[in-house]
Order: sequence, then C-alpha cells, then structure tokens
Amino acid sequence: MNGHCNGTIVDIHAVKKQQQQQQLSAEVTCKQREKTSRKEAEDASRLPAIEAAYTSILRELGEDTDRQGLLRTPLRAAKAMQFLTKGYHENVYDILNDAIFDEDHDEMVIVKDIDMFSLCEHHLVPFFGRVHIGYLPNKKVVGLSKLARIVEIFSRRLQVQERLTKQIAMAVSEALQPKGVAVVIEATHMCMVMRGVQKMNSRTMTSTMLGLCREDPKTREEFLSLTRH
Amino acid sequence: MEYRTASETNGKHVAEYQNGFNADLHVQEEEGGRAGETETWSKLSRIQRAYSTVLTELGEDVDREGLLRTPLRAAKAMQFLTKGYHETTQEILNDAIFDENHDEMVIVKDIDLFSLCEHHLVPFFGKVHIAYLPNKKVVGLSKLARIVEIYSRRLQVQERLSKQIAIAISEALEPAGVAVVIEATHMCMVMRGVQKMNSKTVTSVMLGTFQEDPKTREEFLSLIRKN
Repeated sequence: MNGHCNGTIVDIHAVKKQQQQQQLSAEVTCKQREKTSRKEAEDASRLPAIEAAYTSILRELGEDTDRQGLLRTPLRAAKAMQFLTKGYHENVYDILNDAIFDEDHDEMVIVKDIDMFSLCEHHLVPFFGRVHIGYLPNKKVVGLSKLARIVEIFSRRLQVQERLTKQIAMAVSEALQPKGVAVVIEATHMCMVMRGVQKMNSRTMTSTMLGLCREDPKTREEFLSLTRH
Repeated sequence: MEYRTASETNGKHVAEYQNGFNADLHVQEEEGGRAGETETWSKLSRIQRAYSTVLTELGEDVDREGLLRTPLRAAKAMQFLTKGYHETTQEILNDAIFDENHDEMVIVKDIDLFSLCEHHLVPFFGKVHIAYLPNKKVVGLSKLARIVEIYSRRLQVQERLSKQIAIAISEALEPAGVAVVIEATHMCMVMRGVQKMNSKTVTSVMLGTFQEDPKTREEFLSLIRKN
C-alpha cells in the first residue's frame, strides 16, 4: 500500500460520518432559514402599518404625497427604518458562529476605525462615527470580523451612545472572558449638527474599560495611544 | 409688547405697528395667531401619533424611559428639518440688495448644507459653493446662505436643490451669470442599501455667462477647488 497507493484512501466510516454531518448541518440550515424567513415575514407584515404612519407624517408636514418623487417614499422609508433597526432581531451568539479559537496569545488585540451608523433614540436622527475595540485574550481569540459584527448588532437599533459603548464591551467580555476589554466610540450626532444647537464640528466620545484595561493605567494608555490618530 | 414680538418673529416690519395701536389689526393678528397655533399643535400631535406607531411596529417598547418623549421630539425635529416649505426667498432677502458698481465674480463657498432625501427620509449633507456675476446689484452675503437654508430644509433631491438655489438667485438679482455646485454625502447610500462609506455626489447648475463662457466657468471651478 505504501508504494502503490495513489494517495486516495477511501474510508467507508469517514464517508458515512461525513454524510451524517452533512444531513445534520442541512437540518440546522433549514431551521435557520425558517428562523430568518419567519423574521422576514414578520417584518413584511408590519410594513403596511409603518407605511401608513409615514404617509400621515408626510401629509402633516405639508407635502403632497401624490407627487412623483414621494409616491413610494412611505414604503422606502419604512423598509429603511426596518433595516436601520435590524439589530433587534440578531443576537451575539448567532453571529459569533463559533469563531472563537484557542490561541496562546495574551497581548492586546485591537480592531480600530470600525465605521458605525446608528439612530439616536431621542430624535430618530442618525449618528455615526468610528468604534475602536481592544481586548486582552485569555487563551481565547475571536475572528476579527466578529468584533465588527458585534458593533453592527448593537448599533442597528435606537441607541444612546453611552449605552451602545457599554453593550459592545459587555458582549465581547461575555463571549471571550478576556483579561480586559476597551471600547471607544467617537461619533457625530446629526441631532446636534443639523438641528437644535447646530454645531457642525462637534464630536461625542464615549469609552468603556473593563478588567485590566480599567485597573491598569499602563494597559489603558497603550490602547489609547494605539487608537489615537 | 406681546404683539410686537410676534410681528418681529414673523419677519414683518415693526414699523407697520409703530404708528399707533391699530386695534383691529392687532385682534386679527392675535386670532389668526391663535388659530395658527392650534393648527400647528394638532398637526404636531398627529405626527407624534404616527411616530409612536412606527416605533411600536419596529418592535420597540414606547413606554421605556428613553423613548417616552421620542415621538414628540422626532415630530418637532421633522418639522424643523422641513421648515423651508414655509419660507420664501422674498421674505428672507429682506431687501438686502444693494446697488454697487461691481461686475467681477462674487463667490461664497463651503456653505454647510443639511437636507432630507425625499426617497428615504434619511439626511444628506455637504457643502454648497455659489457664485454670481453682479449686474449692478449685489446681495448681502449671508442671504446666499439663507437661500440655501430655505431650499435645503425640505424633502429634496440633490439635482432639484441645486437648480432651485440657482434660479432663486437668478430671479432675485438678475445677474449676468449664476453658478451653484453642491457636493454631498447621502446617508441613504452610506448607512443602508449599497453602503459605500466614502461616496460623494456632486451636482452643478450654470446659468448665464457661466454656461456660455468656458473661461468664466473655469475661473469659478478653480477658485472653489480645495488646495
């Protein structure tokens, strides 16, 4: 066998196991698809009510809802709002997708300049900016894009910047149990820029430090200097 | 003193009321004002109710602390962001047009602009650069920015916005030429849909000499270019 085999060894048991696994994963995908399609159906069923609300808003603002540019606006605005609040239907466990790996690394890992878009829960007007996340692994590292996906889950909701920062930090903390987590968000709030006090260049910064990032000033300083521009 | 303050806020000349106390006018203004206020308030409460519906249908809990007064705030915000419908160029120009023997280009650039996309009701914002070639008449510089405000505080499409600003200036001043360039970022493209973070949309309108003479246009475009 050593000299004459072309390298392909067919192991019947392995093939059977593979087939079983494929069947299992197909079932899971089916269930997942069911879950997603249930959520989509639910979203679609709520659209008419949101559409009617937007039509009413446009009329009360004095616009003509029958003019060409506004004909399908209530539908588009309703779908846009559903997209901008889709974070309510997602949870951290699902999107992490088991992308947590054992790695013997205990130095700081930073993913910075993650673009973030959210909706101010007080005025329903967008605020957007950048998120910087750093954590000190404790034998477990996470897929890097998963940090950005965690940001997406919590930012696609009606939010307050302080709460958003904390939720991201807590999510990373619970998923990885690291030695420390640091999250800094720098954002521009349209509710302050395009209405109200109208300060064009103002930015709001919030931060949450957990674990070593909170207790040890040197660790915090390292994170802050690495994320500074 | 109440009525005098009201007249000032409405942009009317205070002088109209200075010559003695015209009781009839005063009463009419008060009643008209009160009726107007009631109507505004009922519109506001209808918009409020609509926003409550939106929040509930999106799956949020309208009774939680952070959202308690959100329908009211959002309604007022939308009214502010669409206040341009109730303003006219004539009012805000406020007769700030002066005779001046100047026929060289006048440019006001980097005017911050905030508007609402009429297709998705999501903001778009950017900068406006305006230039005109006076024909014996110049306008107060801030009035150009105020014209931008009137037309941008509406449900808009960037193309139409540029045109409306250009035509407004053209009608008010009858200059030899008008040029308007708008460079804006559309949140409907950035935070949803195709999600392209760094995209910008540029529209321009050239009237009069700016349209006919390429050298004039070139002068304007090079002066607004960022160095």
